[in-house]
Amino acid sequence: MKRQVFTCRYKELGNIRTRFSPLKSRVQSREEGLTHYEKKKYVWKMLYIYMLGYDVDFGHMEAVSLISAPKYPEKQVGYIVTSCLLNENHDFLRLAINTVRNDIIGRNETFQCLALTLVGNIGGREFAESLAPDVQKLLISSSCRPLVRKKAALCLLRLFRKNPDVVNIDGWSDRMAQLLDERDFGVLTSSMSLLVALVSNNHDAYWNCLPKCVKILERLARNQDVPPEYTYYGIPSPWLQVKTLRALQYFPTVEDPNTRRSLFENNASHAVLFEALALVMHLDAEKEMMSQCVALLGKFIAVREPNIRYLGLENMTRMLMVTEVQDIIKRHQAQIITSLKDPDISIRRRALDLLYGMCDVSNAKDIVEELLQYLSTADFAMREELSLKAAILAEKFAPDLSWYVDVILQLIDKAGDFVSDDIWFRVVQFVTNNEDLQPYAALKAREYLDKPAIHETMVKVSAYILGEYSHLLARGPACSPKEIFSIIHEKLPTVSTSTIPILLSTYAKILMHTQPPDQELQHQIWAIFSKYESCIDAEIQQRAVEYHALSMKGAALMDILAEMPKFPERQSSLIRKAENTEADTAEQSAAKLRAQQQASNALVVTDQRPANGTLPVNQLGLVKVPIMSNADQIIAEQGVTHENGALTVVDPQPQLPSTPSPDLLEDLLGPLAIEGPSGTGPQSEPRVASGFERGENADALAIAPVEEQANTVQPIGSIAERFHALCLKDSGVLYEDPYIQIGIKAEWRAHHGRYVIFLGNKNTAPLSSVQASILPPSHLNTELSLVPETIPPRAQVQCPLEVINLRPSRDLAVLDFSYKFGTQVVNVKLRLPAVFNKFLQPITVSAEEFFPQWRSLSGPPLKLQEVVRGVRPMPIAELANLLNSLRLMVCPGLDPNANNLIASTTFYSESTRAMLCLIRIETDPADRTQLRMTVASGDPTLTFELKEFIKEQIVYIPVPPQSPAPMPPQARPTSPPTAISDPGALLAGLL
Amino acid sequence: MIRGVIIMNDQGKPRLVKFYEFQPVEKQQELVRSIYRSRRAENVSNFVKVDSLFGPDVRLVYKTFATLYFVFIFDNSENELAMLDLMQVFVETLDKCFSNVCELDVVFNFKKVHTILDEIILGGQVLETSSSEVVKAVEEISKMESNGNSIISSIPGWQGR
Repeated sequence: MKRQVFTCRYKELGNIRTRFSPLKSRVQSREEGLTHYEKKKYVWKMLYIYMLGYDVDFGHMEAVSLISAPKYPEKQVGYIVTSCLLNENHDFLRLAINTVRNDIIGRNETFQCLALTLVGNIGGREFAESLAPDVQKLLISSSCRPLVRKKAALCLLRLFRKNPDVVNIDGWSDRMAQLLDERDFGVLTSSMSLLVALVSNNHDAYWNCLPKCVKILERLARNQDVPPEYTYYGIPSPWLQVKTLRALQYFPTVEDPNTRRSLFENNASHAVLFEALALVMHLDAEKEMMSQCVALLGKFIAVREPNIRYLGLENMTRMLMVTEVQDIIKRHQAQIITSLKDPDISIRRRALDLLYGMCDVSNAKDIVEELLQYLSTADFAMREELSLKAAILAEKFAPDLSWYVDVILQLIDKAGDFVSDDIWFRVVQFVTNNEDLQPYAALKAREYLDKPAIHETMVKVSAYILGEYSHLLARGPACSPKEIFSIIHEKLPTVSTSTIPILLSTYAKILMHTQPPDQELQHQIWAIFSKYESCIDAEIQQRAVEYHALSMKGAALMDILAEMPKFPERQSSLIRKAENTEADTAEQSAAKLRAQQQASNALVVTDQRPANGTLPVNQLGLVKVPIMSNADQIIAEQGVTHENGALTVVDPQPQLPSTPSPDLLEDLLGPLAIEGPSGTGPQSEPRVASGFERGENADALAIAPVEEQANTVQPIGSIAERFHALCLKDSGVLYEDPYIQIGIKAEWRAHHGRYVIFLGNKNTAPLSSVQASILPPSHLNTELSLVPETIPPRAQVQCPLEVINLRPSRDLAVLDFSYKFGTQVVNVKLRLPAVFNKFLQPITVSAEEFFPQWRSLSGPPLKLQEVVRGVRPMPIAELANLLNSLRLMVCPGLDPNANNLIASTTFYSESTRAMLCLIRIETDPADRTQLRMTVASGDPTLTFELKEFIKEQIVYIPVPPQSPAPMPPQARPTSPPTAISDPGALLAGLL
Repeated sequence: MIRGVIIMNDQGKPRLVKFYEFQPVEKQQELVRSIYRSRRAENVSNFVKVDSLFGPDVRLVYKTFATLYFVFIFDNSENELAMLDLMQVFVETLDKCFSNVCELDVVFNFKKVHTILDEIILGGQVLETSSSEVVKAVEEISKMESNGNSIISSIPGWQGR
């Protein structure tokens, strides 16, 4: 048999497979009557095979049945294998409960041990329900051997951890205190673990255990009455010391005299020491003791033993929270910087964390320069974190702005791949907002462009900065517009499509700054524009076309392409990001109890300010780059407050086919591309007020009389109206009632959409049991991030929601939202404005493109025609506006008849990809309530859905849905009799 | 608590896998593989943060003894150095039970290894820290086994030495 086992274990996997099936059949054919011995043998083998990674799906029954075998070896196999193979919810476990219980209350101690081990390792609910009282009895029984009792303690602990509601621990504090008087160290260690769990749950009830803990520590520290087998390398049971110190950390701060010791020769004592340090921190001891601790840690981070270095750095990072010792920690800066070069990446990470944490105005320059230097040698795994941290520190603590620009440019130069867009957006903001900085930044950008191979991000920054400010350099060497243009243009072939739009803007700006116009340069640039006018990328194409057309206009160019206005101040998205992550690294273990529990990945924005906002510019404001709207903006758009209207209001009716996604890039480049003069207004003044804007708005919101709303919660404003408004624009309020305001903000990219749902609590009391879910129609894939259970008073929570459009359909997604305020439960179902037209992208077609397309799509189902009646009467210009706002681009001039409209758009979904849609609408000037509509696209469903969608939008729906009943008879004669013939041919004939 | 104990050899073959929170078998193997892949050089610290595998604040401590690679996985309610020492206790106990333990001992007596581990860790908590106590308990169990079934002791190589 040994050979059999041997081959089974050492030959190749195939061998195991061949053994596997006979084993399986043997085990399963129970009728043949396996002896207990055979059963035992096979069950052990099963466990081994399971461990090697094969899914053993047979024989579970045998393993469980062995538990009830009378003899010890078989019982043991049963217990051990069951505890490895089955999880707590497995049905077979129920079969064993009775046997397990009999073993526990039986007299046989070895059986008791086996049963306790099983229960302790699995810890299921049913076990807890039926066995917890028995286990408790065993633990405090004086007749049991320590061997059994220590197992009972841990078994109980496991049951309590898994099912705290089932295990009754009322009145256990006295028993725990008794247990802590125990002389046996095994029982004591186990009981201490149990105590830690109980105390962490509710420390008030266990005050009486506190003196006992201190006594145990004293006993250990003085090495009194410690049996030699529990002395580990000369230290009296370090585990018990560690556990006891842990337990003490859960009690609120009290005077605790004897927790510090200064013996350290090996690991064990270090473990004790680190726990002691943690306790000292927890107790917030006096400064002298703290500085002793730091001195000790300083020694640790310099030792050769890597484990101690690691923990030393980690604990020093924790120490940073104690303000008094920060200066002392700074003395170790040199040593910490050396740790950045440690061979161990874990230690390097700790060192980076620590450096980041200890940085302030006084040492920022040193630390950031050190980080930059380290960046070129750092391993790739760390570079992203490193560059992000360097960027944040540079921004937070910059002694002067030119230094900041230097740092960021160096950063991009050295680790361009790891510099996120946020970082360079930020530098552009700084430069734009500080006039003194502009010539310097332009000069620097010019210098970097001279380098032979530069990173694409560097191309972006330099191109942008030079586009704006290169004229400030005009007198310098090699800085004529022509030279700058040619050096930037050199980079064009190497960059990706995301950079080309920036370069095009730069060219347009250079052109504008060249006064008087340089003919040669002008022609060069125009040639580039016209080359890109047929580019496949819509963004590039649009820019090329617009710039080309604009630059033809001559003097008007000056106004439109004027220098970018200053940005409104907003908190750096980087710092925001960092603040979010800081919470993770800051403190653990006992302190976690005090931290608020947030089981949500949603971003909670409250009025808290960053503690060390040394730069006045970083006070507050917008949050994250892609979701730059916050309550202020939404409210401003709704016209509730007026003061900061000038700051953020965008035209709610987009007349131009602008891409409405307001990310920062758009923000940087948007006004230049589209808005023109409206963006040049004075924008710096409102910033002063931004410090209390949020507060004000919150007040304004709170004015809504809470008391008057007695029982039912009435929404403020019409939900339907809000929904319809949001169908046409991408941000605004979706729902509002006296307690909550739900705003949304959307961005669309082809068939992907990204919503951010803002849940704003308007009250001074928290909203609880907040739940939100999306009921998506079949054609949308939605993914809503977790919504926090409670929304703190006056706080706003942001929940991202991803939407993917699978195929054309007009069905709507519904947001099912509920919350509780006081005792009132509010549940609302809101239609989400992820409507059909959000997945449209307007596109202009020329006559040459339109007619072949129109003809090639002949007849149903690809081309559908319908006479629509009961249309809301409106002049043709208004109809064109409506179509444009639905992202159906009206192409004027294609149809010579002024009463007809031709529109085109691209529809995006996963199944259809980008699909061109063409629409023709013929109106009757005599009767505006009817029109004839022809829709064509390459997909029958799409054609139908689009037709129905437009119909929905133009038909007059209100009160009696089809009120103009007498209309049809009147309408019929006016509709032209040729309506049946192909309108394509008709149109061609007209032309 | 301690989330799991893994012993594997230097080729990444698991020799003992015990999780204190149920993991489906595929997940177990994936964990063993990724832990094997993240083995590190001799002269660096023994602690690795493994948030990506087990969730936040979980770390593992590992130590190599000859061809065997011991791994303890635990969360922040345990002290790192204490875990390292517990591993030492575990190895010492194995050493006492098998007199100079080697990989083959663990393979052929993996039942006994399970028994020993059950005497040291229970349900993810430290049960016993004195190796002599553990040895005592294990010997008692072995005695029970040989009394309980006479056939088993006649099978060579199955029972501990």
